[in-house]
Amino acid sequence: MSGFMRGNVALMGKIFILAMVTAILSLLTEHAFVQKEYAIGSFILFAIIALNFTYLTKFSIPLKFFVPGILFFIAFVIAPIIFTLSMSTYHYQTGNILGKDESTAQVLALGAEPDAAGTTFDINIGKTTSGEDAILVSDIVNNKYFISTQTSRTEVPIDALTLNADKVATGAQGFTLLSADALSKSDAYSKINYKYMGKYYIAIEGQNVGAVFQQSLSYNAADKTIRNVVTGAIYKDNGRGNWAKVGAPDEMLTPGWRAPIWFENYTKLITDPKVRTPLIKVFIWTVIFAGMSVLSTFALGLLLALALNRKLRGRRIYRSILILPYAMPSVMSILIWAGMFDTEFGAINNILHTHIAWFSDANYARGAVLLVNLWLGFPYFYLICSGSLQAIPTELQEAAAIDGANPRQIFRKITLPLLLQILSPLLIASFAFNFNNFNLIYLLTGGGPRETLDGQIAGATDILISYTYQIAFGNNTQDFGLASAISVLIFVLVASISMYGLKKSKVLETFG
Amino acid sequence: MNSWVRENLWRHALAISICLFSLFPLYLVVLSSLSTGGSLHLTSFVPTEISFNNFKYLFSSPKIPYLHWVQNSLVISTTVAISSVVIGAASAFAFSRLKFKGKKFGIQLLLLVQMFPAILALSAVYVIMERVYKFAPSIGLGSQTGLILVYLGGSMGVNIWLLKGFVDSIPAELDEAAKIDGASAVQTYWLIFIPLASPVLAVVCLLSFIGTFNEFILARLFLVEMNGRTVAVGLQQFIGGQYSQNWGPFAAGSILASIPIVIIFLSLQKYIVNGLTAGSVKG
Amino acid sequence: MNRKRLGLLGVIASAALAISATVVPAAHAASEILIWADETRGPHLTTLFADHPNVVPGSTIKVVTFSSYDALGAALDKVTGTTGPDIFVGGNDWVTKMAKSGKLAPVTLTATQKSKFAATNFFDLSYQGKLYGVPVDINNVAMVYNTKLVTTAPKTYGDMVDFYKANKVSKGLKAGLCITGGGMAWGGLSGLSALGADPYFMRAKGVPDVYKGFNGTTFGNNVKKYLLDANGKSNGFYPATDTGCADNFKAGLVPYATIGNWEWKTYEKLGFTMNFMPVPGVVAGTYGHMFGSVNGAFLTTYADKHGVAVAAKSLLTNYFASAAGQIAYEAIELRPPANLDAQASASVSDAQKNMANAATLAGIPQIGAFLGSNAGGASYWDSSGGYWTAVLVNGKDPVVEGKKLAAIWKKNVAVGKADL
Repeated sequence: MSGFMRGNVALMGKIFILAMVTAILSLLTEHAFVQKEYAIGSFILFAIIALNFTYLTKFSIPLKFFVPGILFFIAFVIAPIIFTLSMSTYHYQTGNILGKDESTAQVLALGAEPDAAGTTFDINIGKTTSGEDAILVSDIVNNKYFISTQTSRTEVPIDALTLNADKVATGAQGFTLLSADALSKSDAYSKINYKYMGKYYIAIEGQNVGAVFQQSLSYNAADKTIRNVVTGAIYKDNGRGNWAKVGAPDEMLTPGWRAPIWFENYTKLITDPKVRTPLIKVFIWTVIFAGMSVLSTFALGLLLALALNRKLRGRRIYRSILILPYAMPSVMSILIWAGMFDTEFGAINNILHTHIAWFSDANYARGAVLLVNLWLGFPYFYLICSGSLQAIPTELQEAAAIDGANPRQIFRKITLPLLLQILSPLLIASFAFNFNNFNLIYLLTGGGPRETLDGQIAGATDILISYTYQIAFGNNTQDFGLASAISVLIFVLVASISMYGLKKSKVLETFG
Repeated sequence: MNSWVRENLWRHALAISICLFSLFPLYLVVLSSLSTGGSLHLTSFVPTEISFNNFKYLFSSPKIPYLHWVQNSLVISTTVAISSVVIGAASAFAFSRLKFKGKKFGIQLLLLVQMFPAILALSAVYVIMERVYKFAPSIGLGSQTGLILVYLGGSMGVNIWLLKGFVDSIPAELDEAAKIDGASAVQTYWLIFIPLASPVLAVVCLLSFIGTFNEFILARLFLVEMNGRTVAVGLQQFIGGQYSQNWGPFAAGSILASIPIVIIFLSLQKYIVNGLTAGSVKG
Repeated sequence: MNRKRLGLLGVIASAALAISATVVPAAHAASEILIWADETRGPHLTTLFADHPNVVPGSTIKVVTFSSYDALGAALDKVTGTTGPDIFVGGNDWVTKMAKSGKLAPVTLTATQKSKFAATNFFDLSYQGKLYGVPVDINNVAMVYNTKLVTTAPKTYGDMVDFYKANKVSKGLKAGLCITGGGMAWGGLSGLSALGADPYFMRAKGVPDVYKGFNGTTFGNNVKKYLLDANGKSNGFYPATDTGCADNFKAGLVPYATIGNWEWKTYEKLGFTMNFMPVPGVVAGTYGHMFGSVNGAFLTTYADKHGVAVAAKSLLTNYFASAAGQIAYEAIELRPPANLDAQASASVSDAQKNMANAATLAGIPQIGAFLGSNAGGASYWDSSGGYWTAVLVNGKDPVVEGKKLAAIWKKNVAVGKADL
């Protein structure tokens, strides 16, 4: 009875939750499709189907456990990775970030050239009696007034007008003003080129301002070129995301678009010395940084673990204090350290009675980075090592002691090798973590110092990931394509290191 | 006596000196948070005066809506921690206990993919959420909900992996017994696995909480409005290289924000250490 | 699927439908103009539009404030087309980059409106001959001297150095001249220019001279003469960073400081005299150039996509660029307004006017096409600070580095002129 009740309640609950989720997601799908976000809309639709199918049928039990996780994983992990992969094959940087259609539309819009005098008129926006969008233009310099639509321009005699003190028309017969409300509700009227003289037209440049333009650039669909009707210049798609002038390929129209260039971003890594040289430098420092970080944190952690690996007065207090750096939110501690290294006010110069500009000198900056990382990281290895030391069976050590080995020999010949064997995957994981330790570098030194006068882009403490971030989100040119290509390279490197580590620890074999 | 010295003196000496190393920056922050000027300058190791001006500033200055920040951090981190464990635990259970096709492939994929440098997928995440914003502003870019969704997705790999390690360490006899009694996988999960694993889930929940609390790159990108920031972003932006001017309130703010995390960490250190190792080490 | 399950699906579908129906879609407010600004301007704009809600008939205005100028810049970098602002207010640092990427839309000013601004103001807001925003206020710095330390205005750079050397020990001076506002690159231009390093020169009619570069040797020797001691180390007169400058100046430990025109009020409240002047050059009567640039309100291409292009243009030209609008805004923001009518208005304080005067005396427009270019290996923004670090911190030769700097800037201008 109670089981039946519970079963029913559970079923009701399940249906209710599923209905809620389905409702919300359906709503989102609808909105997505209305806004023409087809890819995302389809994904949400897929999610609805997957959820309902999984929980309403007995198709697969494991799937019932997986579906929510998988959906999140696809949406926010897999999709961005695929996106990044595809970005790496594009010429995608400052100046080339729009889609081709949008960029071409903007190029053409920017091709609207004001007339030589930069003529502007006071205008009123409204409609003609036939309901056509129109503007009432006051040319107060020439004392002329006219109503323009897309196709016609009609002069209005003075007596058919209402004028204000500045002789600007505020109304005319046969012309209905748009209300403020109507002005803000739709903007269709603003996209029209209102007729003026000859090739010139009037565009709305404000609720009461119109300016005279001519369209200098025009797109020729037949041979897919853009032509400047004033100068006669012809621009062609240069295959790299820009309309470039025929005969002078360096003269390009802006903005450009992101264009596929396949593996060029990857080949650049090897062939372009401007890219390659800093990359190699940064790579070497990354390896040194990650290696030294692992070594130093591990060494200090192990030393402490050995020292405290016996009953000792105050051991608990020591332990609590020693793991404080690990317990602190690392963002805070890094910022605190950054302050402490400040040249003028920092506590470090203060105590040492020095005046060292820590982050302006390559070697000092590197030293500082390593020191801070030691502070941040040694508690981890201390904790791990103490745990592992206790896990090592004591029989071996005792046997060795009986055989007359001294403690140092026991440590070197027995304890350390065993420990390394147990901890090698963690050491490798730590290496991989530090390889990508973005927060530390970004918050502490920002990758600097950089010898800007010698044209250095990469700083002395830049590691691959901070360098890539700089390329993608830095101050000047932001090259998403190149940054994505380096990301992929980092991924391959880190994944190989980690996989090697895992293979070694035989974790993969227990997957079956 | 002599042997005590030989055996233990170096241990104490080492422990004390490294303790000082650990404490040094923290002591300094506490000191400057309690000083009047809040200067980064170290005048003496012993506070000459104690003032709470910096803390007062923190709670009263319109320049730092500190309480909002704390609240945001707590809401975001808690939501992410709980939801990611709820979703992650189910997947981890399936990976650990159920047999199905493609399991090995799935777990390898999971492992591999989480090694992708997430920071560099940033622009992609940004573009996706920007598009979501277009049709659903409340869960898109600039909203806390949107950020929570992104965190959830991003934490999935690590959490499943971590949880799987834990689940593997729970003896399988119990749920196998349940299976023999005719319980379905779903029943086993709810009635046997969840009660057994709840301490473990709590720890992963906390780790996830701390991780989210610490995140600032995505948060900085997503939460632009002053009152909508998290503590990490707020303080990072507040200090913004102005070590001389803003140090005092920053010190006070970072201490207050760190205390709960440190307490959680210290009180649960045993479990957390197990958690750290379980993800990678077996047996 | 059996009937029971079909039934379930039906229940869910209808429940879903019922819930959907009750949730009203969040329609985008078509008549809302969205403005982005940084942490100082944002709150001021919010106040402004709370007091003047109906400046554009039929439209409402929403201001989003970013935590810092950098955060605003980072956000503008990342917008790709759907969530951007219609207008943003700020310095002109991003014009080149954003216009190049198609994120800005051109604005047209009438001849009357144009005549209300100094012609050089438009350099700051243009890219390839098109204007992308309207000038709002003057963005500059000026030097002040602490009258408790120095009684008369210095006539040459040497005067200041002499004062510093003579009083360094007795008064415990931390530096001679330092930069409190605008950072070492932007705020510190006058520090470079007073000794002879200019990123570009202007001809008489406000046209940039794209061929002339500065003399690296002369500049380097000036640096050697005024800023280094006998051992080639910094004599402490001019610090390589702006850290702590404000505090030291306030504490009376620095006699001369370059302050930003948005922060003078802070110093005035502390009792400093607002004796604004440009940084004097090595020869009496010459001054170091500073950026007398303008902050702008810029129109983005999203305004058109949001359907508020006309309203946004009206807001820019009829309000942001108008005397009335600038007077109302600068009463809160406290910078010198860019509009000449507004500048002359009685409601603008003397300090604001003096700031504007300093800009007239030694200001050069901030031409993004030159400054942002890194054709020479590094942009102005990166290389100017780089010079001071190299020479004053790392002890490199000032002449050698000075020549490098001159070469970089010359190349930047040569390439950047295409974007004017």
